[in-house]
Amino acid sequence: MKLLKEKLESIFSGVQVNILEQDRLIMSAQKDAVLSILSFLKGKGYTHLALISCVDWLEEKEFELVYVLSAYMQKDNGYTDKEKTNIILKTRISRGNPEFLTVISIFKNAEPYEREIYEFYGIDFKGHPRLTPLFLEREYKIPPFRKDFDTREYVKEVFDKIPFVENKDGKK
Amino acid sequence: MDRNQLIKWLKAPAKMGHKYSLHVIYFCTGCGIIEIPPSITSRWDAERFGIIPVATPRQANLFLITGYVSVKTLKPIIRTYEQMPEPKFTVGFGSCPINGGMYWDSYNTIKHLDKYIPVDGWIAGCMPRPEAIFVAVTHLWTLIDKEMANGYKKYRENYKYYRANQKQLYGKVEWPPLFPIEDKDEPSPS
Repeated sequence: MKLLKEKLESIFSGVQVNILEQDRLIMSAQKDAVLSILSFLKGKGYTHLALISCVDWLEEKEFELVYVLSAYMQKDNGYTDKEKTNIILKTRISRGNPEFLTVISIFKNAEPYEREIYEFYGIDFKGHPRLTPLFLEREYKIPPFRKDFDTREYVKEVFDKIPFVENKDGKK
Repeated sequence: MDRNQLIKWLKAPAKMGHKYSLHVIYFCTGCGIIEIPPSITSRWDAERFGIIPVATPRQANLFLITGYVSVKTLKPIIRTYEQMPEPKFTVGFGSCPINGGMYWDSYNTIKHLDKYIPVDGWIAGCMPRPEAIFVAVTHLWTLIDKEMANGYKKYRENYKYYRANQKQLYGKVEWPPLFPIEDKDEPSPS
């Protein structure tokens, strides 16, 4: 793990790498370097993209994309089994212009994750073949997982305005 | 058979038949479905009450909605309900179909199920125990006896309003109306 940390810091500039535990590495990078870091890590054996997640930092006006990678056990590249486990890669993009590049070219299974983030946070992934709705049935003015989406106001506007059906005698 | 009920059987055999052979379709929404396997298997044995789960809505006459209903799930619920033959009874299970429950301010969960389809009874709780299902079933028997479980009649009479509510939620409903309604925008029922 330490070897990998040194290598990452020497190859990529502006990358902060912390080793959280023995088998967990967390790193933050500039958004330009993300694709090259991911393909570098894939070459190092981290072939499994477990998750892409997103965090909305409303006060800092930034979205944080989180890529979670893990490796299957392989005995090459000079690392022992225990050292190849989990990597969390974080990057920040601006909230005013929520755009990022798709990572489908590196990890094919990124497609549903990126569709989900597009749907719930409104981040446009350039180069994604089909950014269509995945889960939601309705259209929302603000994507619903953003922090400035007021769920109570939305409930009042949409669900509470639908009237109860009354019988002829006026009872509910 | 209970001898006291002999008169009821002679008076209205069809009603008694409906009472004691509730074929139930469990709609597996949300977390309530976890209470169903113990209630239909040997521990609480729902067949004592004449309840058996069936495969399709065409065979069912009790519709048990177990848990929160999202906007997307409501669509198959309505379509399932419309496919069921009459007489049909609906029971909302858990507090989420009643008024939203813990999802009261959720962006994607409908709060009141009875705005979209008629519901004959509610089982409150989060989650209700399997015993509560049988309390609800015996209560439903008395409602059927007194002809108060008439949600399907209400649906037929007020279909216009239910349809309007469904339309208001979805903007546009793709399926044809179950009963004829006087609306120029609607296609005629096939």
